[in-house]
Amino acid sequence: MPRADEVAQCYVDNSWLCGRYWSDYRPELVDATVQHLWITVVSVLAGLAVAVPLALLARRSPRLESLVVGGTTIIYTIPSLALFSLLLPFTGLSPTTVVIGLALYSLTILVRNVLAGLRAVPDEVRESAVGMGYAPLRLLTRVELPLALPVIWAGLRVATVSTVALVTVGSIVSYGGLGNLLLRAVGNQFKAQILAASLLCVALALVLDVVLVVAQRFLTPWTRRAG
Amino acid sequence: MRILRTLTTTAAAAVLLAAAGCGGDDLESGGDGGSGGSGSDDKGTVVVGGQDFTEMQVMAAIYEQLLEDDGYTVETKLVTTRDVYLPELASGGVDIVPDYLAGLTDFLHTAKNGPDAEPVSSNDPDATLAALEPLAEEEGIAILPPSDATDQNAFFVTQEYADQNDLETLSDLAALGQPIKLGAPEDCEGRSDCEGGLTNVYGLDITEIVPLDFGSSQVKDAVANGEVQLGETGTTDASLEQLGLVLLEDDKGIQPAQNLTPAINAEFLADNPDLEDLFNELSEALTTEDLADMNLQVDLERKKPADVAAAFLEDKGLL
Repeated sequence: MPRADEVAQCYVDNSWLCGRYWSDYRPELVDATVQHLWITVVSVLAGLAVAVPLALLARRSPRLESLVVGGTTIIYTIPSLALFSLLLPFTGLSPTTVVIGLALYSLTILVRNVLAGLRAVPDEVRESAVGMGYAPLRLLTRVELPLALPVIWAGLRVATVSTVALVTVGSIVSYGGLGNLLLRAVGNQFKAQILAASLLCVALALVLDVVLVVAQRFLTPWTRRAG
Repeated sequence: MRILRTLTTTAAAAVLLAAAGCGGDDLESGGDGGSGGSGSDDKGTVVVGGQDFTEMQVMAAIYEQLLEDDGYTVETKLVTTRDVYLPELASGGVDIVPDYLAGLTDFLHTAKNGPDAEPVSSNDPDATLAALEPLAEEEGIAILPPSDATDQNAFFVTQEYADQNDLETLSDLAALGQPIKLGAPEDCEGRSDCEGGLTNVYGLDITEIVPLDFGSSQVKDAVANGEVQLGETGTTDASLEQLGLVLLEDDKGIQPAQNLTPAINAEFLADNPDLEDLFNELSEALTTEDLADMNLQVDLERKKPADVAAAFLEDKGLL
């Protein structure tokens, strides 16, 4: 077999810091990061889409609340390996398996925060809105959710950062974003790749958190003025 | 109102994205076309599966390029364990995987008959294949003829020690009658393919098992500097030579036959019968030395499995 090109010294030494790695494996790093990003975003959005109705359901009675909060907490205790195995017969080796799993995990944080946010709306505000003739849906969307937003957003930030970390377990079914690179690198002790994938994971979490902070400033301008 | 709009937009986006991901995947993994017409450029989509470690990455890349060259659109999905891809191979979510003869046989055998069942795999590839075929057929999996290339567990000594004592096989080592310290994983004791076989089949006098990971740099160091005399690794470990180490042949056959074997979803093979020739050609060309050499290129030279696979296929004239 032809061995034309010389092997880079940092590959021979298996160094943590290896510039050649970042250029040689740029396409792999980009693909993995893009996959990591979209799986994270879709999972958290799907989680949020489920968490809001669940929280609205939960606040109707204490029994429903303990059911919903307890249920979503129990889901969090299912190991990812077991959860993915349960989903596999239905969704196969697809990103859907990972997204469903991660969305379910995010519920633990999101449902509690949506619930806590809605709770924090002062009764007087709610009563005055009703007194002004707000119907339930209008009350929810124009009074309660805006006032609950800072607490919901805090939950969204925690859920997003934790989901960035959790996406890596998707490598069980071959959709783990940077987790796929990590798994392989741990397997053959490729230190430059372990470091690169870990750094990109941390960077992704930081970037998403900054995006959410900036988005919140736009969504809740009144908190800025008050602050 | 803005809040509602934001929330409904994000929710809708999430649902759409999820549906897109889901739909796209179903189309791809469900497509087992190929029946469209022989010799056409597009034979449909095939999903290659397998485990995500070096040797299987290279094998999957070889499969992928071979299939693409033959006109298929290929998607490769490497996962952590056999438990994950095997049900998919049976159901058609995955169409073809590179696998190991005895490993696959043991997996299907214990899945069907329980973990305590008497093993049906052996050192004999033909007998193992005969045991595997009915087990695989029950699951809807077709097995193509195994390659001679094999990744078995194996034991090594230093080249110096082998030269001094004229050792080529494990029987030669046993004939020396010297007490042996063995570097091997924790579960080695009593296993028929490890301490048990070495003691009972070869009659080696193993005085101590030093727990050292399979094929690790630690076990190689330990043998090289004489802490232990015998270490365990795989037959496709190409790093031994440059470390001054050498494998002893398993002449009495205590290792199960781990020949590289293509496993295909039976329905998919029935729809694409030309795959048989394609993979038989590959299996005939592939040797244990090829595997060792390709592993070395990925693990030590840090080449990409796809590049290593392409060089191999070109070298063998398979493209």
